[in-house]
Amino acid sequence: MSEAGSRQPEAELGLLDATMIGMGAMIGAGIFVLTGLAAEIAGPAAILVFALNGVVTAFTGLSYAELAASIPKSGGGYAFVREIFDDLSSFIMGWMLWFAYMIAGALYALGFAPNFLELLHVYGVVGPPEAVGAVALPVVDAAVPAAFLLAFVAVFLLAALNAVSTAASGSAETVFTIIKVGILAVFVVFGFASPMFSGAEFQPLFSEGSGAAAILPAMGLTFIAFEGYDLITTVTEEVKNPRENIPKAIFVSLIATVIVYLAVVAVAVGTLGAGGLAEAGEAGIATAATSFMPTGLPIIQNGGALIVFGAVFSTLTALNAVVIASSRVAFSMGREGQLLPTFGQLHHRYGTPFIAIVTSAVVMLGSVALPTQSAGNMSSLFFLLSFVIVNVAVIRLRRERPNMNRPYEMPFYPAPPILGIVLNLLLTGVLVEYLIRTDPLALGLSIGWILVGGVAYVVLNRVRSRSETETETETDSDVPAVTED
Amino acid sequence: MNSQDLRIAIVGGGRVGLRTARTLDNRGHTVIVIERDPVRSDQIADEYVATVIEGDATKPSVLKQVGLEKTDVLAALSADLGTNLATCLTAERYGSPIRTVMRRTEEEDDEYADLVDETVFPERAGARSAVNAVDPGTRALEDMIGDLEILVMEVTENAPVAGRTLTDIGLPRGSLVVSSADGDRIADAETELEPGHSYVVATEPDVEDEIVRLFRG
Repeated sequence: MSEAGSRQPEAELGLLDATMIGMGAMIGAGIFVLTGLAAEIAGPAAILVFALNGVVTAFTGLSYAELAASIPKSGGGYAFVREIFDDLSSFIMGWMLWFAYMIAGALYALGFAPNFLELLHVYGVVGPPEAVGAVALPVVDAAVPAAFLLAFVAVFLLAALNAVSTAASGSAETVFTIIKVGILAVFVVFGFASPMFSGAEFQPLFSEGSGAAAILPAMGLTFIAFEGYDLITTVTEEVKNPRENIPKAIFVSLIATVIVYLAVVAVAVGTLGAGGLAEAGEAGIATAATSFMPTGLPIIQNGGALIVFGAVFSTLTALNAVVIASSRVAFSMGREGQLLPTFGQLHHRYGTPFIAIVTSAVVMLGSVALPTQSAGNMSSLFFLLSFVIVNVAVIRLRRERPNMNRPYEMPFYPAPPILGIVLNLLLTGVLVEYLIRTDPLALGLSIGWILVGGVAYVVLNRVRSRSETETETETDSDVPAVTED
Repeated sequence: MNSQDLRIAIVGGGRVGLRTARTLDNRGHTVIVIERDPVRSDQIADEYVATVIEGDATKPSVLKQVGLEKTDVLAALSADLGTNLATCLTAERYGSPIRTVMRRTEEEDDEYADLVDETVFPERAGARSAVNAVDPGTRALEDMIGDLEILVMEVTENAPVAGRTLTDIGLPRGSLVVSSADGDRIADAETELEPGHSYVVATEPDVEDEIVRLFRG
């Protein structure tokens, strides 16, 4: 008997699937976890925060569309930057993007935990959050580990699942995203209809004290809510008719996501008020829902439970998406020889990028010890920086590869990438300034990660040059045979 | 030469060039095609197997746009011998060590053996297919396998499957290890995949890149 293969190959993704991968990664992250935090910083202007971020990110979206349509590689922004930049710059890009995804994973896990506790509470498994909150102060040590433990377990299980199986991909994501958007639609409809919303209080739009300036740091913090198009470009090679579908998927997912965000944030601020939303933190949307959704329904009892379930479900699926995305970036870097070659190898039994997944998971597991806001800050910071580089890559490719066939050419070039660079840098600057004032831990860890990257780069180059001199003599047999005639 | 996947520039996106690009892309390599004809160039871009540079490859300013300094192999596969030779020589001049493969137009012609690393004569395979169709009773191997690829792959030292038996590894559905080391026996569950030895593997196109990555690292 010869060994026949038994694992399922990956399925092809249509426009809907690709769009849903992008939306799935965005929705669930920003909206459920960060709305409360955005409201805390910017007040009712949280709505503006999400709208303006949508505009800023659209410029980078154009760049991604142009690059993804002409360069058929699945590695996200890293693959495009690798195409035109030298070793060091592309390494830095990959290193930052990898980190951005890993920290995003921690962020989603941290968003998952309180929402899961809320879900348990709705069904009376654990005490009400008020009671927990009241007791929590004296016994902080006991309260914190519960959420921390949950976040830890969530990352561990999803990483383990992805490490041993390639099944959890494309088409499941479509179903997941439709469920998420459906639940949010229910939230929006009931919210607009609720008596709480008719007395909605959006004035003063800007929180007192900081005023309109508070929008910028809030934009920086919630920027991660728009990172989804990078995720689309990590799966481009599995997409059908990619030259049309990838730009479309990027734009459709971006526009749809912005619309969903605006409706949801408007309802949340309108019903709960910016203050109440801020208080609820990571469970902001869920808390708002419990306040106005009908109760006494069959089976689920409390209508709010549906939204809480949506939050739990969204954060988990988004977590799954970034577990995959982070490992793909590390895998691409390994294959390009920019991380140890083992990162670029498939597991002999599971066919997954095993080392890349395990390493990413370890960093994520360590990062769930971070405060939610720090995780959001760091992840947004690294996405902003990565997107700056992607925009530069578009400009460099236009200049140095004028003859490259570009199935999708962005309109009004060079305005979009330049605006993308300027606005992303502006937000980066504001975010860094905000971190210096409020979150030196996040800033320190971010700088630390870059420094570790620098050391890793030097060490890897040493290792490689040594192994290259060793194999110099046998390189001739190293090239796969080209079949003659 | 430090990446595990090759970066390959193909001159000429005609039938030979495009077919070659598809096959190499399937194996997970990075492919860049240079094609002069704008219509043809769009067709190739549509297939999404390669980045396409539209222009005359004999111009160094065009050829350099494939990123010669990091390209591992240049395959000059256009129907024009002059173009093929010129691009190979330009690539040798500007590329840091680059392997050149040139399509020759005469069947028995070792005129250029010293100038390029390898020459190919794709018409021979085409003629073989024609012979197979004319005389189907005795068919040469290449043409009887539909979409399947039958690969002879040498297991590399660092490959994920190196040193493991077939029971130990999980191959994707749509693939089959046919022979044991160096083709003397049919493979069975106990067959060990030894580095440095070659195995015959049949694979469907969908999973070819995964198979190549498992065997070649």
